[in-house]
Amino acid sequence: MVVPAFTWTEFAQQIAAGIRSGAIYAGLALALVIIYRSTRVINFAQGEMATFTTFICWSLMNHGFSFWTAFPIVLAIAFVGGVAIERVLIQPVENASVLTIVIVTLGLALLLNGLMSLIWGGANRQFHGPFSTRTIDVGGVPISVQDIGIVVVSFSLVALLGLFFRYTKLGLALRAAAVNPDSSRLVGVRVGWMLALGWGIAALLGAVAGMMVAPVVFLDPNMMQTILLYAFAAAVLGGLDSPIGAVVGGILLGLTITLLERYVGFVGSTLKLPVALLLILVLLLLRPGGLFGRVAVRRV
Amino acid sequence: MVLVRVFYLCAVLAAVATASAGARPLATPGVSSSQIQLGSSVPLSGEASVAGNVARGAEAYFKYVNDKGGVFGRKIKFTYLDDGYDPGRAVNNTIRLVQQEQVFAMFSSLGTNNNLAVRKLLNDAKVPQLFVSSGATTFGRDYKKYPWTIGYIPPYSEEGVIYGKYVVKNVKNAKVAVLYQNDDYGRDLLAGLRRGLGAKAKAIVAKVGYDPTTADVQPQVTQLKASKANVFMIFAFGKFSLQAFNAVSRLGWKPQIFVNDVSSASALMSIVPQKAANGSISIVFGKDPAAPLWKRDKGIRMFQSILKKYGSDIGSRDLQDGYFVAGMATAYTMVDTLKKAGRNLTREGVMRAATHLTEKGNPFVLPGIVIHTTPKSRFPLTQVRLQRWSNKAWHPFGKLISAKPG
Amino acid sequence: MKLKLALEVLGFLVLAALVAFLPRIVGDFTVYEFAIVGMYFIALLGLAILTGYSGQISLGHGAFMAVGGYTTAILSVDGIFGHELRDLWTIPIAGLVAGVAGLLVGVPALRLSGLYLALITFGIAVSFPQLPKKFDHFFGGTTGKVLNLVKAPFGLETTPNRWLYYLTWGIALVLLALAWALLRGKPGRALQAIRDSEVAAASSGVNPATYKTLAFGISAFYAGVAGSLYVMSKAYMNPDVFPIILSVYLVAALAVGGLESLVGLIAGAALIYVLQNRADDVTRWINHLPVLDLDPKQPGMPSVVFGVVLIAVMLLLPTGAGGLLRRLFGPLTSRLYSKS
Repeated sequence: MVVPAFTWTEFAQQIAAGIRSGAIYAGLALALVIIYRSTRVINFAQGEMATFTTFICWSLMNHGFSFWTAFPIVLAIAFVGGVAIERVLIQPVENASVLTIVIVTLGLALLLNGLMSLIWGGANRQFHGPFSTRTIDVGGVPISVQDIGIVVVSFSLVALLGLFFRYTKLGLALRAAAVNPDSSRLVGVRVGWMLALGWGIAALLGAVAGMMVAPVVFLDPNMMQTILLYAFAAAVLGGLDSPIGAVVGGILLGLTITLLERYVGFVGSTLKLPVALLLILVLLLLRPGGLFGRVAVRRV
Repeated sequence: MVLVRVFYLCAVLAAVATASAGARPLATPGVSSSQIQLGSSVPLSGEASVAGNVARGAEAYFKYVNDKGGVFGRKIKFTYLDDGYDPGRAVNNTIRLVQQEQVFAMFSSLGTNNNLAVRKLLNDAKVPQLFVSSGATTFGRDYKKYPWTIGYIPPYSEEGVIYGKYVVKNVKNAKVAVLYQNDDYGRDLLAGLRRGLGAKAKAIVAKVGYDPTTADVQPQVTQLKASKANVFMIFAFGKFSLQAFNAVSRLGWKPQIFVNDVSSASALMSIVPQKAANGSISIVFGKDPAAPLWKRDKGIRMFQSILKKYGSDIGSRDLQDGYFVAGMATAYTMVDTLKKAGRNLTREGVMRAATHLTEKGNPFVLPGIVIHTTPKSRFPLTQVRLQRWSNKAWHPFGKLISAKPG
Repeated sequence: MKLKLALEVLGFLVLAALVAFLPRIVGDFTVYEFAIVGMYFIALLGLAILTGYSGQISLGHGAFMAVGGYTTAILSVDGIFGHELRDLWTIPIAGLVAGVAGLLVGVPALRLSGLYLALITFGIAVSFPQLPKKFDHFFGGTTGKVLNLVKAPFGLETTPNRWLYYLTWGIALVLLALAWALLRGKPGRALQAIRDSEVAAASSGVNPATYKTLAFGISAFYAGVAGSLYVMSKAYMNPDVFPIILSVYLVAALAVGGLESLVGLIAGAALIYVLQNRADDVTRWINHLPVLDLDPKQPGMPSVVFGVVLIAVMLLLPTGAGGLLRRLFGPLTSRLYSKS
């Protein structure tokens, strides 16, 4: 394989691409962490939920809605869907074994994937995102407007959520319910609904990630599967119970993978995922809690 | 708990029941006094599903022939299964079609790797592997080892040769970048390109292979652009070709693009950014129903009426889809072969007929093409024309060129 | 105790008799299908040892099957030191190679628990197919390796499908007996002790690390044998022959079928077979319901059905069918008291 030489311009472009991928992983990873913190569940269906809502957006746009009109509608649908899933499917098995909970979310993933195939068919389709694909000059480097848009939207959302969790009563209640459900109940927090709210927010994050990434990779039912994997990796990297970790982990992972793929010939696109996972495994063995998380305490 | 057990028992029994609806062995499997059974494995789901339309086109044509009495009074029963472009599933489908459905022959299965995966087991079982939808040279060339196999579409290696020769003749100071699928399909095209460039083979300044299960070839295209090539060969399939065009557009690259025949369907070409697509060159052997050139053509009219009447779930877009035409062209040749094989239909007989073809009247391929095979030259389609994309359509130019190996 | 033992042995004999008898009443292709069910059964058996007895979740067992599969494929096609190996002899080798891989995974697995282990093993399932694509000269890449068809040895008068069936179920019964013997004895009790409380087990002299790692190795061995047989049945191997979703199906079938029920394991194996190879039939059965008229070629329905089944069974299983109804209609607060 003839690998072209290194240029600073291209390096800057790869960094931009890495941050853009990282923003998507960060969004999904944050969703995973929010769910994990509140309900101790790894939501294997996160990717499919995101793709499903993206399909809804696509359908709306097909019926004449513009992207930015459809956007809030899809967010609302995603939120309600997330809440409903938590109430109907997750709450009944909250105290069941790890295996049971894993199977439920896996079952949900299968169900959603199948539904998407049934409703919209399996072929991929173009998704016309809100950002144009032309490039603008940033300090002499052509960067695509789309990449910039994705990063801006993702980070704005994360920042908004951060403010929400920190400075609003509801956000505080959510955090309390996640960290200490029993005490929260004592002060009047309706823990059950807080958990459902967490799932709603996570579904929202997923929807945004899906709508951001679809213009880049073509929309089809399996669109999010690899991305979800990277999101898992990012969440584990940052620490499964650390929202900051999820975001940092996402960016780090995005950059690492993009640069590894481009500049380490041996890795290329074939081995980028295994190498990333291997690195994370090594990290986990050294720091079981991930970069920012607490050490997982094993109950005996 | 009991509920679960009962459910399972039903699953197991149902599996047995459906499976046991098995066949009585016939003298020649798949042939009865009233019926000939053909089987195929094509992608009906997943990223390559557009190509699966070849089977649907063939199906419509077979139904049309059946309506007119079939072949020597036998109706063709064509069963095709989805393999999602996955060779492992193609193996499963083929085993099922041969052993459970007891088909007479496998016909027009799609995918180079898919056909390679089943070639040995079909040849060992002496089941004809007819007119595979793959241009990998091995299907026509390795008949000594695999006498029950024969290809159909023009061999990829010769397609590459044609592109190479064109570049030598028409592009000054050519610097060629190649994106190729890392299997026989892509590698055959690349090898042919090298041969076609001849002394100018050094013009290939960058080539990048990708695995067919990759998610996205954009990084590869970015690499290729950095080589500053002015010619770009897209030896990629289906969605990868789409991604390549998209990437070219996003990167602001303006090379002379060559896109390989299998990915050149108008359905695909019209959804990529047109600025990148315009000027692209490819080859063609069939009549493209979306090309203005064939709008009033009798063959295309026939294609559309057959598809409308006998096709299943046909949308208006499908009437403009070249994959359906390719499927019908292959089916036409299949029927032709069955007729040649005679009333006393055997597997040996159909192989003999398939390797002694001289078919002139196929209404779905370019006028002047003769579909010709001999036992030692198993490449039915070896004539093509060049075509150029502009104004959202393909425009063939030049005369028929030979795409015959050797 | 004696009665239980007698019943278990009886159950085993009944199974063996059914296995021997089946080919006489069904067609040749169905025999082939039951052979494949047997292969999934072997894999599930191994997974049951790991997840049911040592309590470790592996969402990556498809990868161990693939290790076994590739061992058989490479040894059969490329041979070793210039000699092509007869497919039969590759089976134990495939099991051993997979077993070693399992041990290698089992060691770092000790440091991870529950969800982390599930995620990492899932990562293995996803990553493993990339290796044959990278080192495609050795593994054959996506084009894969084509093997010779299975043939009965020593001129035995039987169809290839029947040979495959008896070979598979013969191995399955042996491995079943082996697992049973193992689990009835000290190792089984040790594993159960570890699953219930590692600290307690350790303080009574059981070394959790050894047993847990061995459990990984043994279960991987089983998966490797199953993978080897599967590749022989298809005469083909490439990275997608054991897809990622298979690892999910294995765990799901295990959870739904019941970790310690033999009938459950067999039924689970049959379920996986139907999903992997007869998905279009699932759609055809669904079409018998009123209103629905789906195209069997469309891939969506089997996933939907399986997804619903998984969710339904998991929701119903912990508390029974009645529990779910209670939850749907009872006030939220009543859950508080059952939460302890």
